[in-house]
Order: sequence, then C-alpha cells, then structure tokens
Amino acid sequence: MEELIISTENFKKIVQELLGKEFRVIGIPEGENKYQEITDGSKLSLHPEAAPTSSSFKEYFFPKSEPIFFYKQNHSSVDLFDPIEDKKGIVVIGAKPCDASALPIISKVFNWDYKDDLFNKRYDSSLIIGMSCNYKDDYCFCVSTHGSPENTKGSDVFLTSLENNYFSAAAITPKGESFINDYVKYFEMDEKKHKVIERKEEIPEHFNYEKVKTWLDNNFENKFWDTAGEMCLGCAQCAFVCPTCHCFDIVDEQCSSCEGRRAKNWDACQFSLFTKHASGHNPRDNQEKRYRQRISHKFKYYNDKFGEILCTGCGRCARGCPVSLDILQVVEDINALAEKS
Amino acid sequence: MNELKQTCKDVLTEKKARLIIGYSEDKNKRVKPFIARTPEDAEKFVFNHHAVNNLAVYISRFKNNFEGKIGIVVKGCDLKAVTALIQESQVKRDDLYIIGVNCSGVVREIDKEFSKDNSQIKCKYCQTKTPAYFDAIAEESKEFELTVDDQQELMTKIEKMSAEEKLDFWNEQFEKCIKCYACRQVCPMCYCEQCIAEKSEPQWIDSSATARGSFAWNTIRAFHMAGRCIGCHECERACPMDIPLTLLTRKMGMVASSEFGYRHGMSIDEPTLIGSYSTSDKEDFIK
Amino acid sequence: MEDKFEPKIVAFVCNWCTYTGADLAGTSRLKQEANARLIRVPCTGRIDPVFVIKAFESGADGVLISGCHPGDCHYNAGNFHARRRWTMFKNLLEFVGIDSTRLQFSWVSASEGKKWVSVVDGVIDSVRAKGPFTQYKKMNKEIEIPVQTGEGVPAK
Repeated sequence: MEELIISTENFKKIVQELLGKEFRVIGIPEGENKYQEITDGSKLSLHPEAAPTSSSFKEYFFPKSEPIFFYKQNHSSVDLFDPIEDKKGIVVIGAKPCDASALPIISKVFNWDYKDDLFNKRYDSSLIIGMSCNYKDDYCFCVSTHGSPENTKGSDVFLTSLENNYFSAAAITPKGESFINDYVKYFEMDEKKHKVIERKEEIPEHFNYEKVKTWLDNNFENKFWDTAGEMCLGCAQCAFVCPTCHCFDIVDEQCSSCEGRRAKNWDACQFSLFTKHASGHNPRDNQEKRYRQRISHKFKYYNDKFGEILCTGCGRCARGCPVSLDILQVVEDINALAEKS
Repeated sequence: MNELKQTCKDVLTEKKARLIIGYSEDKNKRVKPFIARTPEDAEKFVFNHHAVNNLAVYISRFKNNFEGKIGIVVKGCDLKAVTALIQESQVKRDDLYIIGVNCSGVVREIDKEFSKDNSQIKCKYCQTKTPAYFDAIAEESKEFELTVDDQQELMTKIEKMSAEEKLDFWNEQFEKCIKCYACRQVCPMCYCEQCIAEKSEPQWIDSSATARGSFAWNTIRAFHMAGRCIGCHECERACPMDIPLTLLTRKMGMVASSEFGYRHGMSIDEPTLIGSYSTSDKEDFIK
Repeated sequence: MEDKFEPKIVAFVCNWCTYTGADLAGTSRLKQEANARLIRVPCTGRIDPVFVIKAFESGADGVLISGCHPGDCHYNAGNFHARRRWTMFKNLLEFVGIDSTRLQFSWVSASEGKKWVSVVDGVIDSVRAKGPFTQYKKMNKEIEIPVQTGEGVPAK
C-alpha cells in the first residue's frame, strides 16, 4: 500500500466519525498529559514531542477494578450474573511506541494457562494507532529494551510526524489496513513530499540487555540486592503507571448482606502482603526482596517464560516515584557489575 | 553543603550513629533519600532546594534492625515528624542522632528550578526554618518570601459549598484514586504494621479502586491523621493522580488547633491529641 | 401509590448505659418508631469511625452513636476518648460533604428510657426530613448487580 499522509485536522474528523459509530476513542486531549476518553474530536491532540503521560493507557484494557461476576444469595442457592459487556471497540490514538508495544507483551500472560476473556474481548476488538516519538529525557530507555521511538510493535496503524502538522500513516496489520481503507477520504498522497520531523536527540543504549539478563540468571543472592531497593517505600505507584505490569488480586465485595461481586483489582509485588501465604508465612518479607522480585520479573522471569522483556523503557515509574528510585539506574548498575565479572 | 558532609562523616567516623539517612543526588540531578553507613558513603550527601523528601518515614523501617543510633538529616518540618514519632512511642529520643539543616524552602515541581512560585505550600508559612532541636546543625539559614498558591481560596470555596456539592466534589477527586497507597507509604505517621485497609476479616475498607472503596480509604486515612498530621505534604506530592489530599489533612489540623489548641509534633513530652482527653472537652453537639 | 420514605438508622450503643436504657424503654412499653437498628458495643470508646462509613455503605440513611454520660463510663474513660474522636470525625465528615444530620450523638444512661425514645425519634424524624442518602448509595453502583436488558439474564 502506498504511503499516505494525513493532517491533524483531518484526523480529528476521523475521530468525530468514530464517535458517531459508537467507538470508544482514547487519546490525549489538548492541554493535558493523560490518556482519556475523547468525547469531542476537536479536542484530540497529537504531539510526538510531548513527554510520556504520567500513567499508561492499560486501564482501558485492564481496568483498575473490574467485576468478574455478581452474585445474589437466595434461601438455598446463589444466582450469578455476568457484568455488562462493553460492546464498543476501543481505538487508541497517538500511542507512543513505549505504550503500544506493551499490549502484545502482556497479552501473552493473559493467554497463558488461562485465556482471560475480560482482557481479550477488549484487546481483540481494539485498534491501536501508534505515533512516532520525538521526546527524550534522562528517564527514557526504550532502545535498551529492544524498542525504539519508531517501533511499530503493537500498533495497527503507525503515524510518523511530518512538518506542517501532517503525519505519514503506515498500515502495520490487516486491521490497520482496513481502517485506512474505511477512512481513505481523509488521507492524501504526499505530493509536496513533506519532510519528516527529526528528533533533536537520539536515545542512547543505556545498558546491554543480554549482559543484564545473564547477571540476573546467576546472582539471586548477590549483596547488590541488600541496597538496590532499600529506599523503596513499598507503594504501587510504579506498578500502576507501568504499561506492562499486570498483577492482579481477586476480591469478593458485599453490597448488601446477600448481594455482591467478585472483582479483579490491580495489585503490585511491592505491597508487603503480596506474597503472604494463608499459613502466615511471607517469603518476600522485606522491601529488599520485593525489589529484587520487581527487577527480576521484568528483566528475567518474563523473558524466560514468554520471550519478552516486561519493560518498554518508558521511564514513568522513575519520573513519578516518590523517592525517585530510578529503574534505569538500577539496571545500569547491574550492567556495570555484569561487565566487571 | 561541605558542612553537612563533614558533620555526617564525623558522626560515622566517631560511631555516634550506625547509619545516617540523608539525601544524595543521582546522575539526573534528582535529590533522593540515601543511606550512608561509612564515612565514604557520607561523601554523597547533599542538601539543597530539591531535598523535598521527609526522611522520618524511614525511622520506622530501620529502628529495630540493629544496635546503635539512627542518624537522620532533617529539615524543620521533617523534625516535627520525628518529634511526633517520639510522642507516639515509636522511637526513643536517645536512639536518634538528629542532624538538623537550616532550610530555605523546597521545590514543588521536582524537575524544575526552585523559585518563589515553584515551592511547597508548607514553605510559605514555615515557622521552623531552623529545626527546633538537634544533635548537630549544618547549612546556612536564609530568610525567604514565597508566592506559591496556597490553596486557601480552594479551601474557602469548598467550605462554602452545600453538603451535596461537597460530596460531589470529593467523589470526583476520590474517583481518580488508584489505591496505590503511595500517600500511606510516604507518610511518616502511617507506621502500622498492618494497616486497617489490609485487614480482610472483616474487610473494613474495600481494596477496590471504586467510588465507594476510594471514598472510604481517603476519608478513613484523613481521620487517622486527625491530630497526628504534621503537615509535610508528602502525601499530596506522592499521589500520582493529583488528589488534593492536603486539604483534608489541613482541615483536620485546623480543627485540632481551633477546638483543642493542639498542634502535633511540637514537643516530645506533649501527650497526643487523640491519645488523651480532658474532662472538659466540648460536647455541644451531643444530645 | 408511592411508598413513603422510611429512613434506615444504625445506632451504635454502649452496652452498659444506652443499650440498657433502650431495653428499659422496651420493657416500659414506651412507644417509639422502629427505624433504628441497634449495634451493641462494650463502650463508645470501641467505636471506630470506620463503622460509620461501613454503615453508610450498607445503606444507612443516618447513624446515631450513644453512650454513657461523661464520668459514668463503665471502663472509666472510654467515652472521654470517644468524645474527642467524634469532634474530629464530625468535622471531617462535614468537610467531605456528609451532613451533620446524618451522624448524631447522644448520652443516654441506663435509667433514661424516655430520653432514649425522644433521641431516637428525633434522629429518625430529622433524617426522614433530610431524605434518603442517595448520594452515598450512588457510590455503590459499581458493586451492585447491573440491570441487564434483553439477553434473558435475570435483572435486578
């Protein structure tokens, strides 16, 4: 398919049409830096030079608290009710590569020993329109996790920013191709040969992942872990803003004495009770062990199991951490240790 | 700065404290908590306008782990948290080596420069530029005048709302809550080994981030801060969803002050507000 | 014909004074409205404000807390501690938007059966006038069984 271009203005018109067809459009409204539901096409913004949002858009695929079923007790039995399915397809517009590439990564764990329909129904009926990124700060490290600011992984359509508020649109998947076909009247041929807006600075490679992985394979008891995470307070800020963190808790909640629901809530390995057993034993009973778990899961265990790095290098965890615990600096320290040995 | 480094190095060399909790600067120029266990480690200590964290939160973590004193670098506001912990019998004064620093304000947006506008609300009204007591003091004291928006207008606006409007306002704020508990974890006064939110038999506070669960969590935490909050504003700084938590804790502080003439964290010998009573407490609201 | 609104009141009462006083009101056959459900605690000092929140979550339109008069507490100082706690909690709830009509307090001793009746009736009448606490009940929306349409699934 020949490469087509589209102006930001025309994209807003596509959004209006999508809203008319009862799609849920997720994007970053003008003037804000959060993924939100867009209800007015004119409010959509496409800013490749903006910083990553403070939290990811995973909540639209994996909500922070989601009902699994509802129950009602009768005299001698229990009736179960399904949650109302949101039949609207989700369209995410303007996802940075560090966000879009997270969805295929977590899709693996949601389709492993149990096919999680709650996630799959949303993901399978979604369309991700990724956008190249022109931002860099000291917390970005997408290149080191085998990503890049132009990575099309996870996107169905990929936009690259051109001068004059234009974007070149490439169809990455068949879904993306049919999207462009459906709205082809808003796209144009690139007659004027618009120039690509180059990034001001390249994102360097901060660490060698293979060396880090080998070190993690062999250093579970290393003294490094005694101090790596000792300043961690044990909140879940990092896990909840992360596009790839996916741990959840299942709870039963009562509405009245005979009615209630079972829900799936975000959970985090940094919480002190995350691994507390029913017996009372807690194998990860201090923050140092829990922090070792976080790094190991993201950079070793998930790769061992699913062949993916459970981190896209977006840097949100470090930007927002109340004690500025920087995952990149921890992994760089591991890289340095790996190079020494 | 050199004064602080030297003081800390001496403390560690002379074994006056087994470790010191202070601030260091990382490769990105972010100032963050750091623990020095040797005089060489103490070389990394810094103190400047970006030293926002309240380090007293680490006292509860480290107090039981060893023999010897815990050294801690404190600004005047942080010292109130230390005093509060002593008042509440969480640590003994003798188990601490307090290294005070004269502070002239800390930033609000941590990745920008400090200025009259980019400062914390608490700095605007600071009465403790020099910590009230200490075992050692470092850094120069400077006068400063700050112009940051102190949310007084928002506070007054809320108080003038009707009950329905208030509940709507707070529900809108609390619905943003993702139950990350960052507010609880940064708070030096939240030291319970098992938080009420973690009790599941019975489940007093829903763990879900629903309207009901978030309302219950934030309201109960605000109540648990009644007469205990020392106004460090760390909870609001840590919140990733920008919920104005300090409005609640400030309201509690104002009530403690107006109804009982009490301010927490001012004197280590003072009995705590909720932990004590007076036979002549007001009861005009009780039938 | 529309059902007239009858408020649900949860009353946390201390065992030694108010509960006994309420019992006296019962044995004396004093006439009182029936909207209050009593929860007996050993002492008002036992009452954690989280109970009040739980009462509202469970559908209460109003909460009454009642205990021994100051100086009469069976455990000496429980009600003194509670009194201080209530000042702080009442102010917090008012700030957050829960009207003070919905959380009321009283001292009722074991011999004050008549006072109990007038306190409870007063609370019920004032909450009835205020109306159901729909704002709080709306917060339960995510936990309630959703109304299903079509599809043959039982509706609420």
